[in-house]
This record gives sequence, structure tokens and C-alpha cells, in this order.
Amino acid sequence: MAAILILIVQIYAGIGALVAAIFLTVGMGRVEENARGAYVFRPLLIPGVLLIWPIVLLRWSQIEGNRLRPAARHEPPLKIQRWLGFALGLLLPLIVMSALALRQDGPFERPAVLLEAPQ
Amino acid sequence: MSVKFVPVQWNLNKYAYDAVLILFVGIYILAFIRLGAPDADFTRPVDGRILRIRAFGTCAFFMLSFILCIGPLARLDKRFLPLLYNRRHFGVLTAGVAFVHATHVFAWYFNFTPLPRYEMLISANTSFGQLLGFPIEALGIFALGCLLILAATSHDFWLSFLGAPVWKQMHLLIYPAYMAVVAHVALGYLQDAKNPAFAILFAASSGGVAVLHIVALTKQSAARAEASEWVDVGKPTDIAENRARIIVLSPDERVAIFRYDGKLSAVSNACAHQNGPLGEGRIIDGCITCPWHGFQYRMNDGRSPEPFTETIPTYQLRHKDGRVEVNRNALPPGTHVDPLEFDEATA
Repeated sequence: MAAILILIVQIYAGIGALVAAIFLTVGMGRVEENARGAYVFRPLLIPGVLLIWPIVLLRWSQIEGNRLRPAARHEPPLKIQRWLGFALGLLLPLIVMSALALRQDGPFERPAVLLEAPQ
Repeated sequence: MSVKFVPVQWNLNKYAYDAVLILFVGIYILAFIRLGAPDADFTRPVDGRILRIRAFGTCAFFMLSFILCIGPLARLDKRFLPLLYNRRHFGVLTAGVAFVHATHVFAWYFNFTPLPRYEMLISANTSFGQLLGFPIEALGIFALGCLLILAATSHDFWLSFLGAPVWKQMHLLIYPAYMAVVAHVALGYLQDAKNPAFAILFAASSGGVAVLHIVALTKQSAARAEASEWVDVGKPTDIAENRARIIVLSPDERVAIFRYDGKLSAVSNACAHQNGPLGEGRIIDGCITCPWHGFQYRMNDGRSPEPFTETIPTYQLRHKDGRVEVNRNALPPGTHVDPLEFDEATA
């Protein structure tokens, strides 16, 4: 099972490397006007492409196919942040208190006791 | 109005911000190792390598806690806004510190294993059904993966390429990542920590993040409940000449109302370039100028002066009982709105 997971990660990263090579050399200038003629910053993007290459390919195809709505960039992006903030506020104390309750020695170390073999 | 991408866009504030950050990280790591050194030798359970693991791990935790406090603090008090503007550099450095922690763990606990090390890492502990002894490695791997994604996509290019909504949604991964980090520490180091100081600092940090988020969200909810179609802006003269007042219309939307030459105009607070805070800029050469990268927009239609093509949404304004109100419904980007005139002598 562990070996299969590692193999999946390796295949994912391999495809990511291929996508990075094509996107950073060919695609960049096609999708982003401000990247034309700018090359020094491109190696910085390699880790990002490796990690999120499916999103890169999807976005690239949307731009090439002219399927983006220009007004979308002004739409509020933060609706879900509100719920995540509340989840954070409720779950963090729960996690910390549960962990403290689990501690077997409490926050203070018990004094060491010298054990002696029975006579 | 185009800005060619560069590896890092520096300015004096960012140099100072980053220098302070790096200084604090250095001092923390050195202090942790120095103070913990008397307990760390080969005869004791904590040796030097484990001490370094804990130094980098706890440093990343405290950095992440501080990062998560910046947003609510800036919403509650504008004096914290300067911390917000360079938060991305803070995040990248945090991911770096967390990565060093992970490499030390990997090189120490998973060395000399009979299985390949990566396989050992994910198969050493599979007790997912119990809390005490829960495989904290999985929590750490998840959190580190999130932090690396956030750091790797922090360059301005990603914001522009993905668009602000997608980029922002992706960067909300910070929330599950932080919860995983808290669980990772709580079920790991906290169970073993002999010094109560860490338990206190840990509970205070995570508790502070929780309380600040609840308070900031509650405050915004109250503001939202009072909302109507028209929102009070205040007196025209409350706004400094050639400057703006920022009004929060909802948790997701801010409008900037600029005053100039006895007139007022309202535009979106988010710059079309990289969502910079336009309301914190000023009017230069007859145009609203973004404080981040200098992108400019005309006040009455939210369009960049020709030959540039950027546009931002505009809003309607009206007088009411000597005060000014803004309509919360944004007009499409680039829509012309006549400025609201007022008498500077009587206002």
C-alpha cells in the first residue's frame, strides 16, 4: 500500500515536471502578457507547477479557449472563509483540550521514584 | 499598464519586514537550542538532533499562529495593516522552517530502516483508530503539503494567472493546515513535553488564533446585520483631500470613496492588477493610484487612462441628511458614475 502511494506521488511529480517544462517555455507568454520577455522569475514557478499542474492545465485551456469571464475576478472570493474561521474558532480549543486531557502525566513531571527489587 | 514579472518585488518596507522576520527566527532557534542544550546529550532521551527538530517545529508553529492572527487583527484594528501587506513573505519563510523540521525528522527517525525510507514514513504508524498514539506523521505531511503549495504559489504570477477568487480559495488551505499542525503538536510533542512553559504557550497561541477569528467574524456579522442597500459613509469632510475612506460592505467586499476638488467618487477597493488596497492610495496626476504597484484609474469610471485597459467596479453615491451614502450594489467594471458634488464651505 505504501509503495503504491509513493508510486502515485512519483507519477504525479513526473507529469508535473513535463507540464512545467512546456508551460514555462511555451505557455507562459500565451497566457500572461506581463510574462512576455521576463524569464528570470520563471524557475521560481517550477515547484508551483509541480504541485498544482492539473489546475494549471485547466486554467491554461480556459484562457486559450477564451472561456474566462472577465468580471469573475471582481466576484467576492471569501464566502467560505467565514465558515472556515468559525470552524477554526471551535475546533482548535477542542483539539488542545482533548490532547491535554489525554496526557498521562499532566503538564508537570512526576518526581522520579527509585524502584527496588523485593526482598 | 503592465509590470514585467521579477523574482521578488522588493521595496524598503519589505526589506525591513523580512530582515526582522529572519532575525526573530534566528534568535528563536538559537535560544531554543542553547536553553535546551543542557538536557541534550547522548545519555538522555533528548539529544541534539531531536532538539533541532523541536526548535524548527515549534518555531514554524508559532510563526503560523502569528500569520493566522494578522488577518483578524487587521480587520479589528487598522494599525495592524502593515503586517498584512507582506504576509506572503512570512508564509514562505514559515514553509521553509517547517520543511527544515521535516527533513530533520526524516533524516533522524527514518534512517537505517529495513524498508525504503519514504515507505517507512507512511507505514511506520497506522493506528488511525486511536487518539493516544495517533500517527502524527500523517498530520504533519498533510500540513507541510499545504504550506508548500501556498509557498510555491505565492508569486504574483499565480495571483494574476489563476485570478483572485481561485487563488484566494486555494490559499484558504491555511485553515485545515493549521488545524492539522495543532493536532500534530498536541498529539505529539505536547504529550511528551516536560516543561509546562511550552504547554502554556501552545494553548495560548492556538487559543489566541481561535478567539481572534471568532471576535473578528462576530464583529463583521453585526455590521452585516445592520446592512441596507445604502451604507453610511460619513460627512464628506471626514475624508482627507485626494484620499479615500474604505467602507466594508460585506466580509468579502470593500469600497473606496475618494474626495477631490469638492467631489466624491466610489470605486472598488481592489486593484485590477493584484487586488491591492486602492483606498489606501491617493490621487496622483488626477487618477487614483494603487499604493502597491502604481496602477492608476480615473475616479468617475474606474478605467485606467489610455492606452491601458484595466477597469474596476464603480458605485453610486448620494447625500442624506448632510451625510454621504454609498449603494452597496457594485456597477460593472468601468461604468461611468457622475461624481457627487458637495459644498466644501458648508459640509
